[in-house]
Amino acid sequence: MDIDKKQIMKALVAFSVEKVLLVIGKPILDKVANRLYMEYQCYIPDCYEHPDYLNNVLRSIFGNSYFTIAEAIKLELNEHLEDKAVLKLINTIGS
Amino acid sequence: MQVQRSTNEAQKFLLLSIISVGFVIVLATLLGKEAAKTVTDFTYIPVTGMLVVLSIVISLRFRRSGNHGKAWLFFLGTTISWFIAETLWTVYELVYDVNPFPSLADIFFIIGYPLIFCFLMYYLKPVRKAASRNIVIGSILVSIAILIPSIYMTYNFDPKVSLFENILATSYPVADSIILIPALVGVFLFFKGEVNLTWSLICLGIILQSVGDTSFQFATFTNTYYTGHPSDIVFLWSYLLFSFGVYDHIKIFKKTKLPYNSKKGFETSLDL
Repeated sequence: MDIDKKQIMKALVAFSVEKVLLVIGKPILDKVANRLYMEYQCYIPDCYEHPDYLNNVLRSIFGNSYFTIAEAIKLELNEHLEDKAVLKLINTIGS
Repeated sequence: MQVQRSTNEAQKFLLLSIISVGFVIVLATLLGKEAAKTVTDFTYIPVTGMLVVLSIVISLRFRRSGNHGKAWLFFLGTTISWFIAETLWTVYELVYDVNPFPSLADIFFIIGYPLIFCFLMYYLKPVRKAASRNIVIGSILVSIAILIPSIYMTYNFDPKVSLFENILATSYPVADSIILIPALVGVFLFFKGEVNLTWSLICLGIILQSVGDTSFQFATFTNTYYTGHPSDIVFLWSYLLFSFGVYDHIKIFKKTKLPYNSKKGFETSLDL
């Protein structure tokens, strides 16, 4: 049961991140996803367990304005704060 | 490592292009004003043409997707408009042998400004909340400071220059100062980020446009303008900076052969 929930939350996090990046542009999503893979050998759903990877990639691409992207992701995940990993992700990308 | 080397090479090429363009125009000026006119007019076409080609490449890369996709379409509109303007200028001057200011070319120069403003606004839209009040006020102040010489000249123009020419020549620096505000905001917002070089080059390009337009306005009011005037070197440099800015963006968001593609996604890391 727990494993199922974890998979659902991973998918939800991936969906939220992709949705926010697609609003900016498809190549932005490609860039973030590819950078995650190149530097950390991880995929977007893995950011659920490793939010620091997403944080580093967003910072390196967007510079000072990265936190607005982080804010948009937070807004998408706001309803799922009861999940500890989601809460950790939100705290990490907002730091 | 490879990306860094490629960026350094591009920066060296940019420097070389800037020096070459300046050197060619100065050399042509030494040969006489006619030579300067011909060389300058023929330099504008490939330089602005290259900017159009690069804008098409980046627009195709984004394919209208998201805010940045729309932003690059507006940028493409700007470059096409300015390319038409420069071509018309050359045709008026070299084919019809008439003074191209004021002319139809000015309409295309002016059209470029609202388009580039839309580009800047759409590009900044996703990160607009990061723009603090101080950043916006600082950008407005810098922009006003750059506009002061133009406003001063507007009230002290040569009476031989018609009111229409005065208004038209002044409208360029005014438009430059308006587009400079979001460009400066962008430089602050993307500072330390990978897209910072693009923004810095575009912002520097707009500053050079502003310097070129103020210098053009001064030369028009004192009846000393000729094609090949130092203001033209500044305009050509601004087009080169825009081109390298776009080129840098193409490199950052180039298509990769990595496993991720937003149409297909990764094979997936979910154990479903």
